[in-house]
Amino acid sequence: MVLQVDEVMKRFNTNLALDCCSLRVEQGEVIGLLGPNGAGKTTCIRAIIGLIGIDEGSITVFGMPQDGKNKAIRRKIGYVTQEITLYEDMSGRDNLAFFASLYGMSKADIQVRMAEVGRLIGLEGRLGDKVKHYSGGMKRRLNIGCALMHKPALIIMDEPTVGIDPQSRSFILQAVKELAKSGVTIIYTSHYIEEVEAVASRIYIMDNGHIIADGTLRELIARIRGDHFIEVEVRLASEQKRKELLGLADVKEVALEGNRYTIVVPGGIPILDKVVLSLSEQGLVTINTKQPNLEDVFLTLTGKQLRDEVAS
Amino acid sequence: MILFHIRRSLKDLIGHATLILFPLILIFFFDYLYKTIDIQTGMEVEGQQRLALLVIGFALTFQIYGAALSFETLAADFYSPMHDRLFASPVEGRSLVLSVLLSGTVVSFLQSLVIVLFSFIVMGASIPSLFVVLVILLVSVLFNQLLGTVLLFLVGTSKAANVVTTIYGSVVPMLLGLYFPLPDSALFRVIRLYGTPMSLANTASIRAMEGDYGSMALVMLPIAVIIVLLFVSLKPLVRRIEV
Repeated sequence: MVLQVDEVMKRFNTNLALDCCSLRVEQGEVIGLLGPNGAGKTTCIRAIIGLIGIDEGSITVFGMPQDGKNKAIRRKIGYVTQEITLYEDMSGRDNLAFFASLYGMSKADIQVRMAEVGRLIGLEGRLGDKVKHYSGGMKRRLNIGCALMHKPALIIMDEPTVGIDPQSRSFILQAVKELAKSGVTIIYTSHYIEEVEAVASRIYIMDNGHIIADGTLRELIARIRGDHFIEVEVRLASEQKRKELLGLADVKEVALEGNRYTIVVPGGIPILDKVVLSLSEQGLVTINTKQPNLEDVFLTLTGKQLRDEVAS
Repeated sequence: MILFHIRRSLKDLIGHATLILFPLILIFFFDYLYKTIDIQTGMEVEGQQRLALLVIGFALTFQIYGAALSFETLAADFYSPMHDRLFASPVEGRSLVLSVLLSGTVVSFLQSLVIVLFSFIVMGASIPSLFVVLVILLVSVLFNQLLGTVLLFLVGTSKAANVVTTIYGSVVPMLLGLYFPLPDSALFRVIRLYGTPMSLANTASIRAMEGDYGSMALVMLPIAVIIVLLFVSLKPLVRRIEV
């Protein structure tokens, strides 16, 4: 077992950031930690690394209790922060070497490893340039590279693709897959469902500081297999109408994103006519029924649509 | 780590150039002023030694602003997302802080050295016991860097620390009589000679130039004690920023 988090509670003043949070990570797994902003993902990660203390529960990393002082645990973890944490006036090479030196690597080892990491993050030809001349995507990749230099056994990536172009995102996801193939354990947090679907072998869904579901993508979708999802786009949607829809008999959940309602109903219930009738005054544009995906799992479990939370 | 931070610090060319050129301009200016205008300088020595005192006075003054540069670096590391990245590593928090602090000390001393050597070589300033004076300047740099660091960790933001430093850096040279003469009373004489850490370093430099090393050591003793106290106080302050 690489990581065991047992019923961890963490409060910041009166705010309960982690509420009986539990998760387990086995060697070689890629764990997707999915949740909206403010769900407690970063707090959970900071507690695992030992950057914050916990109020109740326990955290064990590589069989060692995390008390915040255990250097052996920190040596085994590579942490990719949500924000870009690089020295902009220094070169990519300087940054990689500096972060490697924090883990006691020798100069010779740093040189060898730098070539490997440079290839993995696709910056081998640009490592001599100052970071301030990099694009956002390149900085993100270097940010990851800095966490890989000391060959960590557990890599924790906290929203590593925020604010970058699709090409860089695709490159990062490919790098994560390559790392996973090499047998390293990865915890990947994101609010981009498609990323978690693409890389994770197992997914934890987190909301309000609590793990509300976990399993493989297939297992999670199987939980809501009996449900049907109707997407209705109208000309002018409203929160009041969303609440009205939620009040209809047999409607389990309704999410609103822009002018599109996503309505969850139990399978086999003929409800489409009621929905159409209710929404006709708002000017129907399109109506679709669809197969459930991870986003629908999230909606069913939390009553929220992940992207709405992100936008807010 | 220290080498990295020295290189990192040296990237701020404008900051360092300002901290070297501005005091040199002021030294030129005040030396010219005191030479051509009949003014009571408030200093106890005249001629070449007056130039030496201006050099030492302004070198000491701009060490305070050198400390401000260092705590900007510290704030960028410890009051930003970089905090988590650094403290996620196995390096002790105190080592992380000290590496920045020591690199700041080296860079700030280099600034003082350039000012002194430029004045010595180009302006012809006569500074007896130059090596001892440089040691005093080094101790003063260390004091200022530690003071700036402790101040930053106490107030928690570089903005607030900058305000305090700016006030300190403006008032203390005045109390030394560097910009204008102070009243020639016993009280002001005591303030000018021993009233502030900068006054102590300045007085110690004068004693060193006079060859009175016993008095010099005695005057430097309070600074040494404060340095030890500041150093000791760093431990709980660093622990506070660790989590």
